[in-house]
Amino acid sequence: MSRTSKILVALALALLLTGCSSAAAEVSYAPPESERLTVYTSHKEEVYSPIIREFEERTGIWVEVVTGGTNELLDRLEREADSPAADVMFGGGVESLEHYGELFTPYLSSEAENIDPQYLPDDCLWTPFSALPIVLIYNTKLVPAGQLTRWSDLLAPSSLYTGRIAFADPEISGSSYTALVTLLLSQSGEWEDTIRAFAAAVDGGQLDSSGAVLDCVEDGSALVGITLEESALKRIAAGSDIALVYPADGTSFVPDGSALVRGAPHEDNAKAFLDFTVSRDVQGLMASQYRRPVRTDVETSAELPEHETLAVLDYDVDWASDSRDAILMTWQFCLGGEEMP
Amino acid sequence: MKHTFSPSFRVRLFAALLLVSLAPTLLCSLVLAQVFRVQVTDSSASWADEQSELVMRLLDTAFEGFADAAQQLDGINTVSAALGGSADGTEVYSKLFAATENVRDYAAFTLCDLDGLPLYSTRQLPSGSNALPTNWGVLHAADYAGEPITYVADDSSDSGSPLFQGAVKLTDGTGGDAGYLLISMYRSDFSALLDGKYGAQYTLLLASRYWRPVYCEQTSLASTLVPELRQRLLNGEDISSASEDFLYSAAYHEASGLYLILRQPMLFTSSTSDLLFTISGICALICIAVSVLLSFSFSRQLSRPIQRLNSAMTAVEQNRLDVQVDAERGDELGQLARRFNGMVVSLRRNQEQLVENQRELNEAQIRMLQAQLNPHFLCNTLDTMKWISKINRVPQVALMSTDLADMLRFCISADERVPLRREAEILERYIELQKIRLSDSFAFSMHLPAELEDCLVPKMILQPIVENAILHGLCGKENGGITVDMSETRDGLLTITVADNGRGFPLDMLGPYRGKSREGCGEHLGLYNVDTILGKYYGESFGLVLTNAADGACAVVTATLPIQREGN
Repeated sequence: MSRTSKILVALALALLLTGCSSAAAEVSYAPPESERLTVYTSHKEEVYSPIIREFEERTGIWVEVVTGGTNELLDRLEREADSPAADVMFGGGVESLEHYGELFTPYLSSEAENIDPQYLPDDCLWTPFSALPIVLIYNTKLVPAGQLTRWSDLLAPSSLYTGRIAFADPEISGSSYTALVTLLLSQSGEWEDTIRAFAAAVDGGQLDSSGAVLDCVEDGSALVGITLEESALKRIAAGSDIALVYPADGTSFVPDGSALVRGAPHEDNAKAFLDFTVSRDVQGLMASQYRRPVRTDVETSAELPEHETLAVLDYDVDWASDSRDAILMTWQFCLGGEEMP
Repeated sequence: MKHTFSPSFRVRLFAALLLVSLAPTLLCSLVLAQVFRVQVTDSSASWADEQSELVMRLLDTAFEGFADAAQQLDGINTVSAALGGSADGTEVYSKLFAATENVRDYAAFTLCDLDGLPLYSTRQLPSGSNALPTNWGVLHAADYAGEPITYVADDSSDSGSPLFQGAVKLTDGTGGDAGYLLISMYRSDFSALLDGKYGAQYTLLLASRYWRPVYCEQTSLASTLVPELRQRLLNGEDISSASEDFLYSAAYHEASGLYLILRQPMLFTSSTSDLLFTISGICALICIAVSVLLSFSFSRQLSRPIQRLNSAMTAVEQNRLDVQVDAERGDELGQLARRFNGMVVSLRRNQEQLVENQRELNEAQIRMLQAQLNPHFLCNTLDTMKWISKINRVPQVALMSTDLADMLRFCISADERVPLRREAEILERYIELQKIRLSDSFAFSMHLPAELEDCLVPKMILQPIVENAILHGLCGKENGGITVDMSETRDGLLTITVADNGRGFPLDMLGPYRGKSREGCGEHLGLYNVDTILGKYYGESFGLVLTNAADGACAVVTATLPIQREGN
């Protein structure tokens, strides 16, 4: 085949192939970049969905939601740090957000003046969403009321609860880690001793998700469990034989929060969303769902005990974040029955 | 033989055939497939447009009716008073039912007070129903948006809750806020409005402004398909995915803020294109098979005769001249075969000629050998005769026997060619003999130039010519004369002329002697022999020419032969 005829054939084929694919010129309904927002969230759908939808209705911004576990999403954000796809990390304990602080840009919400200052971080790295006290729960059929009141009840050697405590692996569950740190802060003495005592009490039986804690207590395979107030109340409202106890020797009010991703492609929309999460309307909605609002002008649900009536520990978020590795390592050693290195 | 020729030719032929058959076939099917696809896509797009127009009109009817109802209920004191908590329920209901008369089948109309508490509804009020939040959802939207009615998709998974809600704030007669008119569309309402109104092969999905699922006849599709399509939109892709066998088209309904998404099965599915490809593939295979067959048969048609010709040539090479190739074909190859056959035939004729010549030569040689049978005895006898005649003093006998012996010796000598000088000497001996025999009745003269004496000529060519002249030319003639003249022509040939003064040749004998058969030569056997000898020695162009002299009364025999000398 000569050169010319080769070119002719190639030309004919090209015409043939391109000439017919041009028919698909269609109106695109996709929103422009300025009306988009990508949110990574570790909240459950029942929590984030109404908020996202209301946000869309009110602002006209299309929200793309990517769901996952807190640590999973934070890992993903870390991988994408060079060219982030996400604008907002919505959900996750603030220790975790703090731990991955370099992924986020500080932002002081325009609603900040209405937020309880105890929940606001100094560096504005994250925006609080709701306060989540750690509570103890027990199966009302198996444990008489009033028997469990404090952390130290669990720690007593060879107590009734030894080996029957539902506790999620703090390496997996953020709330479980918060609970562990709260426990450490509630006890006087060296934290390593407390860990050792608690590990003996849990006796190797830690669970691999925070949701399983409620299931275990509900079905009686564990007598007591350690979880978040909000989760416990929702389960109780659904009719489970569970009761909750705010530990008399101290609980924590560590908030979960949202943060603006560093280098977010839609930063303005992200800020609007952060503001919306602490808006009166959203906080009001959260208050009706057993979450404790972080705003001063939104009433906590009347079913919840007031903050002031509870023994609240001064939870040091920075310490919890910085000591994470040491605490988790110690926990794993003690749980494995090994001596400290 | 075959390997040096046929594969490359066959392959080239195959490639050419393949190209001319396969290329148009493939091109044709490609074009057909594309044209078909475009056609089908176009027509399905236009059908989808029709369908969405239809649905659009249905939605228009409903939502225009809703807006109309809101218009009618707005600013009426009875209604505002009722929402304020002080009016006759029946009257409010009659207003409500009157306003919503045409569209009541498509939605539930509920009047709520300013706190969002539903008070009057065209359908049953949910028992113990709480106030709707005015700071959230549809009532909040109504607060902010005002006219026209804003609709909000409800995301509740509860099957009893409305799928789509719109609200508008109602004013009292003085322009103050009175309450809300809440329009709730339930699954059954959408069903009543839309189901069965559009083509059965279509699936209609309704999505909110932000592509959140609202309604689909098949409940599960709405919640699975719409998020997927939304994701495609956000990823900047076409909503009709190439991997799916469905075609999607969307349209926006302004009044409701609803997106209509029509899903239709793709007519030109992957299985259709698979079928087309299969057909094209089969066509291509047929093309290949035909090309293979044709190229084989063509190349065989060409190679067979050539092969036959080839082996015939080999046979000729091995000197088998009886071969003939089949030359029935009318084409070039047939022509070639015919030429070859002709060549073989003429070759065979030549060879036969050669063999014939050889045979004649052999016969002549045999005759010569036979002639030499007892020559020595004859010579010796002649010598004895010579001596006896000398003793008995008969000199004539002695001379005759000497001459005869010389001639005999010359005749039987082994030399085939002799110098012209010797030939002349023997001729003189012969003349001496003849003169004795014929009592000197004729004159003889011979002229041999000195430079021609060395010329080599075949033995005994002069004597027969002269003998012929004596026997026939001078027969019965007194004072006869014979002249022998030898000369060199201008183009280097030797001519020997024997002329007598006799009666001349009969007219039919004139001209070159050649061609006259041995039998036909009659009494001129000597001339025939000489002519034959010259022809055999020097080729067909040399021989004897018979003429009669100009005055008509004497015969001239001219022999022409090339000049050859000893050692040359």
